Formats: sequence, structure tokens, C-alpha cells
Amino acid sequence: MRNLIDELLLEQATLQTPVARFSEKHDHDPDFASHYSQLIPLGKPQPGEQYAFEVNLDRCTGCKACVSACHSMNGLEEEETWRDVGLLHGGSAKSPYLQTVTTACHHCEDPACLDGCPVDAYEKDPHTGIVLHLDDQCIGCQYCALKCPYDVPKYSKKLGIVRKCDMCHSRLAVGEAPACVQACPTQAIRIIKVTPQEGISHPGNLLPGTVSSAYTRPTTRYIGTREIPRNAVPADQNHHRPEHSHWPLVGMLTLTQASVGIAAAALFFSNPFAALLLSTVICLLGLSVSILHLGRPLKAWRVFVGLKHSWLSREIIVFGGYFPLLGICALLAFPMFREQVFAIPEQLLRLAMIAMVFTGVLGVFCSAMLYHDTQRPFWHMARTGFQFTSTAVLIAAAACLPLTTSPVPAIACIILSVVKGFAATECFRAAHPSPLIQASHKLILGPLRRTFVTRLTFGFLGGILLPLISLGYPSLPLAVAALVITLAAETLERLLYFQAVVRHKMPGNIIPST
Amino acid sequence: MSASLFPQRPQRNKLLRSWTGPLTDKLVRVPGEFGLGQVPASSQPDATVPSVCGFCSTGCSLNIHLKIGEAINLSANNDYPVNLGMACPKGWESLTPLSAPDRATTPLLRDASGKLVPTDWQTAMSAFAERFGKIRDTHGSGALAWIGTGQIATEELALLGALGKFGIGIAHGDGNTRQCMATAVTAYKQSFGFDAPPYTYADFEESDVIVFVGANPCIAHPIMWQRVMRNTRSPEIIVIDPRTTETAMAATQHFAIQPKSDLVFFYALAHQLIEDGLIDPNFIGNHTADFEAFSEFTRDYPLSRAAEASGISEERIQNLAQLIGSGKRVSFWWTMGVNQSHEGTRVAQSLINLALMTGNIGKPGTGANSITGQCNAMGSRLFSNTTSLIGGREFTNPQHRAEVAEILEIPIERIPETNCYPYHRIIEGIESGEIKGLWVIATNPAHSWIHQGKFKSILAKLECLVVQDMYHSTETAEAADILLPAAGWGEKDGTFINSERRFGRFRKVRRAPGQALTDFSIFKLASHAFGCADLFEKWSSPEATFHILRKLSKNRPCDITGITGYDHLDQAGGIQWPLSKSQISNFKFQIPTERRLFSDGKFYHPDGRARFIFSAPTPLPEPTCSEFPFTLLTGRGTSAQWHTQTRTGKSAVLRKLHPASLHVEINSDDAHRLGIHNAELVEISSRRATITASAHVCTTISPGQIFLPMHDPATNLLTYPVFDPYSHQPGYKACAVSIRIAEA
Repeated sequence: MRNLIDELLLEQATLQTPVARFSEKHDHDPDFASHYSQLIPLGKPQPGEQYAFEVNLDRCTGCKACVSACHSMNGLEEEETWRDVGLLHGGSAKSPYLQTVTTACHHCEDPACLDGCPVDAYEKDPHTGIVLHLDDQCIGCQYCALKCPYDVPKYSKKLGIVRKCDMCHSRLAVGEAPACVQACPTQAIRIIKVTPQEGISHPGNLLPGTVSSAYTRPTTRYIGTREIPRNAVPADQNHHRPEHSHWPLVGMLTLTQASVGIAAAALFFSNPFAALLLSTVICLLGLSVSILHLGRPLKAWRVFVGLKHSWLSREIIVFGGYFPLLGICALLAFPMFREQVFAIPEQLLRLAMIAMVFTGVLGVFCSAMLYHDTQRPFWHMARTGFQFTSTAVLIAAAACLPLTTSPVPAIACIILSVVKGFAATECFRAAHPSPLIQASHKLILGPLRRTFVTRLTFGFLGGILLPLISLGYPSLPLAVAALVITLAAETLERLLYFQAVVRHKMPGNIIPST
Repeated sequence: MSASLFPQRPQRNKLLRSWTGPLTDKLVRVPGEFGLGQVPASSQPDATVPSVCGFCSTGCSLNIHLKIGEAINLSANNDYPVNLGMACPKGWESLTPLSAPDRATTPLLRDASGKLVPTDWQTAMSAFAERFGKIRDTHGSGALAWIGTGQIATEELALLGALGKFGIGIAHGDGNTRQCMATAVTAYKQSFGFDAPPYTYADFEESDVIVFVGANPCIAHPIMWQRVMRNTRSPEIIVIDPRTTETAMAATQHFAIQPKSDLVFFYALAHQLIEDGLIDPNFIGNHTADFEAFSEFTRDYPLSRAAEASGISEERIQNLAQLIGSGKRVSFWWTMGVNQSHEGTRVAQSLINLALMTGNIGKPGTGANSITGQCNAMGSRLFSNTTSLIGGREFTNPQHRAEVAEILEIPIERIPETNCYPYHRIIEGIESGEIKGLWVIATNPAHSWIHQGKFKSILAKLECLVVQDMYHSTETAEAADILLPAAGWGEKDGTFINSERRFGRFRKVRRAPGQALTDFSIFKLASHAFGCADLFEKWSSPEATFHILRKLSKNRPCDITGITGYDHLDQAGGIQWPLSKSQISNFKFQIPTERRLFSDGKFYHPDGRARFIFSAPTPLPEPTCSEFPFTLLTGRGTSAQWHTQTRTGKSAVLRKLHPASLHVEINSDDAHRLGIHNAELVEISSRRATITASAHVCTTISPGQIFLPMHDPATNLLTYPVFDPYSHQPGYKACAVSIRIAEA
């Protein structure tokens, strides 16, 4: 038997060369051409027109071949998919409703990804309207993934960049259909030409549960004869999970806001050096940590390219200006320098500091706009602006505790912490009108409960209890402890800001995988 | 084709923007040649070869992209009559499960401490032969059994069957096909005289009224649904299913009948057809038997009775009868909603009866058509030598035994004269201690068997459990005493037979990992280890075995003597049985790619007539009660999942396409009454177990019913072990359960 085993193992290790179809060198139409010739437009789009996906929902019955075919025919990473199939359901006992929905990039007229990209790694192709991604331009900041309300750009940790559907641009260029169009057994997906006004298929939004189409003006048309009932909802609507923590951004936001707050507080000190030094160190830490967020940090020097339209570009440029200004102010305020080397007039220093603080405030404003601009209700300016500003002021007040004997910082800490605490407990109060914010509240009280409770506890300790004690028994260790604990509380607040946000997306599956 | 419609990429502001580079190159597409259109530059093939898919019974052909003989990618094959260039997501992902990290790469043997440790083939096969031999010699061949599969090649199934029963002397053999197809087999055998699904897929396209019963082809057989969508006759699509499935949504009419009211429903339809004179007396008179008795029998099934049982109004049932009896081309298609039932055989036959009485058989767009489940359930049905003697014969028929002995050149005494135990009797045998040695091949009963908790507990009673599988991680493999590592689809050669009786070839395009061997090779090794290799000398390779099967099929209804070999299958785009030598001469130029049975009205009973078979419905074995007020339905979850997911679970893409954990569908009214919210964790209890799942509150399931997908291992902890008395198929589709909010 020994021989037989060896023989069989050898046979198993050998690949036969089957009589295969070897290369046919002549110009040979793809086998599928006859199948898909009706599913793509005859000619290229005319000026004012663009290509768009059209999905016939009557024909989309949930086989999901489009997802796999796109994956295989485009050579995507093992876990990467550019298409997805979700589920809408609703209706009544008498007329139950269920609809699977295939979805990919909507190649929007006003693409949010393109709008947000700090390095112009997106291009709306002038000939076809296809939203292209320049993989080698991408710095992996993932802001497009936050901006896109359809969850299209997918970040690859391995590659350090995002990638997305390009409507098989190169296939269309030679008259071949995109992979999904080729592979749909029921011909539910086709490519059509649209002129911008026609782009929005359902007035308001693409499908139940999706963002208003006014945001990006998606071009995909969902057609079909079955009426979508008013109560139709995505199958994943109650299945929200905490989002990625984006900890480098958590650190960057908390620390830059702290830095700006402390720098502003420095204006009130006759000797601002200590505050400016602290602010500089914190800012340096914040900016350094933010680099860890980038998938391709070495390419980040190009961030100014998107200045015209990208809040991220603006944020980086403004903080890029703020930090050296801050450093210079700290240097100028250094007592030895100030008195002996430079002999800078006091007014000049104050002027420089005012300019620096103004830049810093502008930076925090850019930060807030950056998130507000994603159209996620949880990140609306009212919330974001309040959180970012209050963090800056609270930490500034806490930082002043060890620097001054005045009771003002302690009182400011207490008042602010009470207000912030009250705002944070919004999730306990009546249900919010926005379902996405409701979902955020559920996350905070559910899987993020521990973070939330810790955040409140730290807020109380560092922002209320210790400052209160310090009013009666001022001491340096107590003041430092209050500052550190407050900083921790604000960091956790920012962590919740990222983890509890609920994104806009297309209808998903029952219990979607993470 | 080479001229570009528009400029490739605009490349504006190249100074500050990188339009090209290594990351961009990763996604470049290039002309693939071989008629493929553009392919990823990273996987440009140097050859392609067609191979039939190894998941379901649709039997799609996949075009395997090869580089130096090894598969690097695949796409759906445009040149194959089955799938016409399409595949479902499982097919597209066929290669992925081959590279899974939990592949079994070496034989494993349970050591004295109870741990499975790696060993070599010599040791493993000797241990196998010694332990099974000892059991056989001490307790007789009745103490041994195997449970096979519908997932391996026809040639492998045949070798296993012949080796098991004629070589080693294992008395009992059955397959996981018992869980899906046994009912259809028995129904066809009794009604037509042979297990013969009569249709060809073109019937989907040529039908005027397509009736799906307990079937959800939109997700279970998407490529068959493709054929329905290609129907240009504006067909009425009727779905009879308790749930509003994807297919029910796409249908023109949906009858959400109460679970297991099917038999009464179809008898009443038959009664109404007779009452309204909507039958085909000529066909009945010339080609069937026992119609009078059936007609008499159906008198007890007036519309009112069906309406009461099914919850469908008399008017709707009457309209359906009118439609079926309208003289249009009507085809009936069923899958597990019929087969997996305590009286599935009679339900299947109630559909066969409807087709027979209206003459809807043997003509384009007609038929009483069972859609099969696994890629080679049909191969198993004909050649696995389990329920029937190899080649669709009977063990109890001396003539049949003589034929087989002569063709295989084996002593006739080696052929058992009695039928062996079906699956559930094997399980009972293990429990009672009668069966002591079990060999499980390419299936995962510790997950899939009904009332799974009991199954797992009795495995310990075995003296020796041998598991032959691609993975060491299946629930069953983990319980093995000896694990034999097997090559999978794509790592071996052979044929599958699809639902429409089409032989299709699949090929070796990858090397199996480590020491894994093809099932065929393992069976050959076993023949040596058990000392019966001389009996199987002629079974030297899969193709040599195919020729043995051709001989075995001669003059049987499944005659394939006209197929000359594997190359013939390639050239013809697969070949449906029967294709005898005499038929070949009738087809002057080309074998038609789509052929259906019974166009001559001749059935396989000796008198050439089909039978009307019927009996009174029996009550549900486990009806709902106040303690367990819900009926549990089970079934396929999504198109991305295959059975116990030992393979589909290995693909990251497929994992994205199904729920991440177990969910239970519950009607919104029931949920409201019980205070259950969507996405809330609930407990589901039957008399056998309690499990938890996330509630999916919806309207697509009727009040009083809940649905669990079968792919989660927990589902079959609940199911009630009841078996159809004729086919012995388990009734997975109905048991009594309760549901409540899970305690935190």
C-alpha cells in the first residue's frame, strides 16, 4: 500500500494540462457581448449627459451575483466588495413587502467624496460623469468615507487607501459592460445615460432610509412597478453597531481644542509663557497623533490641493499655520528671551498672540465644519460646535487651575461641566425626532454604556468635585489632577462622538456583518 | 473592439496629482482573451477550461482561468446550456474555500488521551481497516454503516457504494441526499416506475403557468430563476409557500397556505379540476392507471375543506384550478417545502397527479418537476448503491443482482439481497448499539441532522467514527476517531448529474493541500487496506469508472451508453440521460441540448402507465399547543450560504452577504403582542432545546409561524425528528415552538 500512497500523493501534486482554450490572438468579441449589448448605451454620453446605473427592482431578487462578480472580475482584495445587496421590508399582513436592493457607487452629480477630499484624489470624469478615484493620490485620510452618505468608499488597512467602484470605466470605454451588469442573471442592472435633472429617481431620496438626494444628487435610478409601501424600512435599521473609534482623530481633536483654549486663556495672564508652553506641547502632541490616522502619511504634503472645497484641507492648513504661530508666541513670551534677547514690546507679543488665537479658533471652526459637512445628524454644527468649543474652554479653565489663585477658572470649570453634563444626558430624555440620533442614543446607552458612564464620572470628578474642593483648599496636585481628569473626560467625550455616530447608508441586510 | 469610446482617464493636473503608480496598477484591467473581455491584470490567464460548479444541483459551468495549469480566477461560462453565462455568488466564490486555513492536510488519529493527532496515510488506513474489520468480524456487517453525500463525483459515489457493500461488507449506506431528495425519488419511483425528473430547464422558458411549491428559486436556485425571467410568454407565476419569499414577491400570485396544509390543498385542486371537467381524458386513458380510484378519493376534498385547512379562500383556489385546467402549458416545481415533510412523498405525488390528469407532462413547458438540491444528488440517486442497487436497480430483484454481478465481474454472493437501513434507522442503530462503526463522507450530520442534540450525544456510542472531509473543523470531523483529509471540488476530476439529468464534467485545477487526497483515491486506498483491491482493479481512474457506469446503465431508463467519454461531455455542453447508443443514431447532426422525458407518454412501469398515488393526509406529528403555540419553519437563508457552511463560511465575500448571526423571522402582530422589538434577542424553545436569535419583525411571515434559516448550527437543535413513511426523509419544516424575549 505504501507504493500506492506515494503514487496517489504524487498524482495529487501534479496538475494536468487540460485541453484548454489557448489564446486566440485575433480580435475576438467577448463571449458575453450579445448578452449585454442591450444593457449598455450605444454611444458615449453627449455633453450634459453622464452614465448612470439603472436598477430594475422588479428584477432584483436577491441572488447577489453582482457582488461576487464585481469582486472577482475586478481583482479586489479578499474582503473588499464594491457592490452590496440590502433589503427593504414592510407592508401589511394583507400585502407583505420585501425587496432586495443592489447598490454600488451612485456616481453623484455632486459627489461628497470628491468635495471632501483634501488631495483631489477624486475626479468626476468629464466624458462619462463617472466618479473616479486616483488610488496613488489617496493619502488614506478616509474623510471621503465619512462624507459619502451611501457608504461607498471602502478603506483597506492593508493598502492604506480607499478604493471604490469606477463603473468599470475601462470596460465601458471598449464597449464592454461593467462586471455587475454582465453578471446579473435577471438583467436587473443596466447602464443608462442621464442628464443631470433626471438624476434623482425618487423625489426626496433614493430609497426609504437613505439621505436626501439633494446632498449629493446621486445618479442611480431605481425603477420598478411595485409600489414601495410608506412603512418600508431597511432590514438593518435597528442593527447599529459602534463605529470605528478613529483614536488618532479623537486625540487630535481633543488636544488641538485644548491647545487653542489654553492659548486663548494665556491672553489673560500677564506672564503667558507657562500657558503658551503647555498649549504648544499639547498642540504638538495632537498634530503628531493625527498623522497616525493617515494610511499614506508620506503623501500628505499635498493636502493644500483641495483647499478650495475640502474642510479637511482647510483644517490641516489652518492648524499648520497655527502651530508655528503658537510656537513663536511661546518663544517670544519666554521670560529670558523676552527681557534679554529680543526685547519685544508687550503690545507686539499681545498682537501676535491675538493673531495666533484667532488662527486657532479658525482651526477649531474648520474641525467642526469638517464633521458638520458629512450631513450626519449626530455631527450637526449645533452639537459639534458646542462640544468642540466647550472642550476648548473647559480644558483652558482646568489648565488655569494650577496657574492662578483666582477662583474664576474653578467656577468656570464647574459651570461648564454642569452644562456639558446636562447636554450629555440628552440620551436619557425624550426620544429625539431624528431616527439616526435616536440610534446614537441607543448606542450610548447600550454597547457604549461603560465609556459613557466613565466619561460622566470623570467629568464630575475633574470638572466639578475637584475644582469645588480647590476653591476651599487650593493646592497644586489637586489642580493638576483636575486638569488631567478633565482632559481624560473630554477625550472620552470625543471617543463617543466617533463611536456613537450613525452613518447614512443604503439599505443593508438583516444583522449586517461589521 | 479596441477603439476607445472615450479617453481612458482624463489625467488633469498631473503635477500635483498621481494618476498612475503601483496602487493604480493593482486595479488595471486588461483584455483577457479567450472571449473573457477585460480581466484584472493581476490574474490574466494563459488558458481557460470549463468545469461544472460543485455547490447546487443547477449544474452551472464555470470558466476556470488558469495560469500554468492552476486556477487563478473564474467566471461564469457563456457556452453552456444550463447557465448561459451566469453564476450565483457561491459559484463565483468556488475557489475561495479551497484556500481556507482549516483544510485537513494530514490524516488524524485520536490517541489514547482523546486528542486528534496527525499521522500518515498508512497508519490511518490500517487503523480504519483494523477497527472496521474487527467490528464486522465480531458483530457482522450489520454493525457497520456509512453516510455519504451528494457533493462528490458520480464516479466516487459509485466506487464508495460498490466498495462499501460489495468489497468491505458494510451493510448500511445512506447519504445526506436522504435529507433533501429521498421524497422526490420515492414519489417518482412509485408514480413513474423510475426515479426520473422529467424536465429540462427550457421548460421554465416555455411554460405559461409556472407553479412553485415550497420553493424559493430566487435565492435557492438563482440560475433557474434566470430561466423563468427569460420566459417570453408572460407566464403566470404561482408560488405556494407559507412565507412571502423573494420568489413569492416576484410571482404573479402567492398562496400563503398554512404550513402542511399542502396535501389537502392539492387534493382539493384535483377534485375541482375533475368537477369542472378540466382534465385530459385522453392522456389519462392512454397513459395512466388508477385514475378512477383517485377521482373517487378526491370527493372527500371539496374546496371548503382546503379553504379551511389552508386559509385561502375557496374563490382563489377555484381560480387556481381554472388556471391549471385552462389547457395552457402548466409546469409544477417543488423543492424542500414539499420534500422535507412528514408526508412529503404523497404531497409530491399530489403534484404529479395534477400534471398527469391535465396532461401536463412530456410537452414543452410542462411537468411535475422536483428541483434537486446538491450538485450531485442525482448522481447519488442513481449510482451510490445505497437505497437502490447501482444503476437505479433493486437489491431485492434477483435479475438486477445478476446483471450487476456480471457487469462488475464480482461474485453474486457479495451483493446484498435486502435493502439496507435509511439514514434515520442508521442513527437509531447507533443509539441502540446495533451499529458500532460509522464512516461519514463529505457531509456534516452533527450540524444538519434533525434533532441535532440527540445525534451529537449518540456519536459517543460508536466504537469507531471515521470522517472523510476537506476540513478538520466541521462539527462532525471534530468528533472523529479517524479523520481522512479529502481534496475538494477543483482538486479532482469527475462528473456531476444536475437537476435536469445532465452529466457535466468538473476538473482538477488546483493541488490539494498537504497530504489530502481525492475521495476516489481514498476509496482506492481503502480497497487495499481492506484487502479487496482486486475487485476494483478496473476502477482505475474516474474516467475508467465512468465507463463502468455506462455499462451499468445499459438498458436502464438512465442509459448513458451513447456518451463516449469525458470529451464528449465537454463537446456537447453536458449530456442529459438517457442517451443510449441507439438514440445517438437517431440524432443525425447533434444531440439536442435540451431534452425532456415522456414525450411519447410511455412511463417506466411494466405496463408503460403512470400511477395515480394518494392516501389520506395524516395529522401534523407535533401540532402547536398552548405551551408551544408557534410553528417553526426552516429553510435556506440567502443565496450566499450553502447548507452547514463548511465551505461558504470560508469566503469573506459570501460572509458579507448573509446575516452575521442567527435571526428569527416573526410576524409584526405576534411580535407586538409579545412585546418583542425588531433586533431584540429572543429565546425560541421546542420540546428539545432552547436557543437564542435576534428577532426580525416583519410581515413576510404569517402570524403563528416563525422562520429560522437552516445554516446556523442551533436551528436543528429545535427540529422534531419525524420521517416520511415512504421516503424516510426528515420533516424539517414544521415543529411546535414558543418564543419570548431573552432574559438579559
